[in-house]
Amino acid sequence: MDCREFQENHFAFIDDTLSGIELVGMQRHIAECESCAKHDTTVRRSLMLFRNLPRIEPSAEFSERLNSRLRELRESDTSSVFHHSGKFAAAVAIASVVILGYIGSSLRDVDTPRDIVFPPVVANVPESELVPLLAPGPALVASAAAGLPIWTAALYAERQPLHFATADLQIASSH
Amino acid sequence: MDDSAVVTAFLGGEERAFSELVERYQTRLLNFIYRTIGDREKAEDLVQEVFIRVYRHLHRFDRSKKFSTWAYTIASNLAKNELRNRSRNPLVLMQTVQKNWQDDDRPLQFEDTTSRPDDMYRKRHLREIVEESVAKLPEHHRHVFVLRELEGKSYEEIAEITDCNLGTVKSRLNRARNSFAEIVAPYME
Repeated sequence: MDCREFQENHFAFIDDTLSGIELVGMQRHIAECESCAKHDTTVRRSLMLFRNLPRIEPSAEFSERLNSRLRELRESDTSSVFHHSGKFAAAVAIASVVILGYIGSSLRDVDTPRDIVFPPVVANVPESELVPLLAPGPALVASAAAGLPIWTAALYAERQPLHFATADLQIASSH
Repeated sequence: MDDSAVVTAFLGGEERAFSELVERYQTRLLNFIYRTIGDREKAEDLVQEVFIRVYRHLHRFDRSKKFSTWAYTIASNLAKNELRNRSRNPLVLMQTVQKNWQDDDRPLQFEDTTSRPDDMYRKRHLREIVEESVAKLPEHHRHVFVLRELEGKSYEEIAEITDCNLGTVKSRLNRARNSFAEIVAPYME
């Protein structure tokens, strides 16, 4: 064993955690190497000094202070549980009211369906301005052929009210 | 009754079990933190903080592990934070140094008063040298050194507490011991 190897294993040598063979090797090296033997002694003595430093004790107020802090901690935990549970209950109540309100209004809508309101169709063109139309308007023809209900046809007709009114008059007068 | 049984009792609603844990660990943790940060008053504050954290989070503690390792891990992290804060705030560092000077003027409390005055002086001087020498070690070396030499922790426990691998722990411990011996050596002759 050389000095480098001795240094590497020295901490385990001090802690007595080396295997039997390694331990014998270290002891043999100390017996042969004065420098490593001196180093070993210095380290052991210095550690002994450190380990023998007086231990300090907690002050007289330590326990009292700690108990007081623990008491505060317990109290704040208890109050925060109540505080949080109160908030939670309020949130649940508000949410319930909102949900119930929504459900209620939805049910009312189902019971009384709204009527579909269309804008009134007004055909009050003066007779003097009526222009004769030979054929019915394309909207009327398209709606009739497609079998659409009359109000749809009326919607189409709303775009050309003059033609619709005139066509009626024309057809009636020809018969 | 081992620590694990005391922890179980506390979690089962036995409030007095917590006082037992405090009783078992307060002095050990105080010395560990004190030797790491070098400020007695602050060390007491930090030990209080350790117990507050233990109280708050004990229900989350993995009971397959050792309670002492967990408690030392909390203490170690608090001590590290304290040193980090000090290095960022020179005023705090100065206040600590001043406090320690005042401590030097206080009468000795831990020495044998039956010793001869010159022996007492020599012992006191040597004690101060040793304390100063520990304080001179780099922070991460000192941490490992105190855990091993003062608290008698195994390498594995130190690795867990300091969150380092085993090789790092051994290497730091070896360096810390050698550095400490070098600093103290001239005063031992």
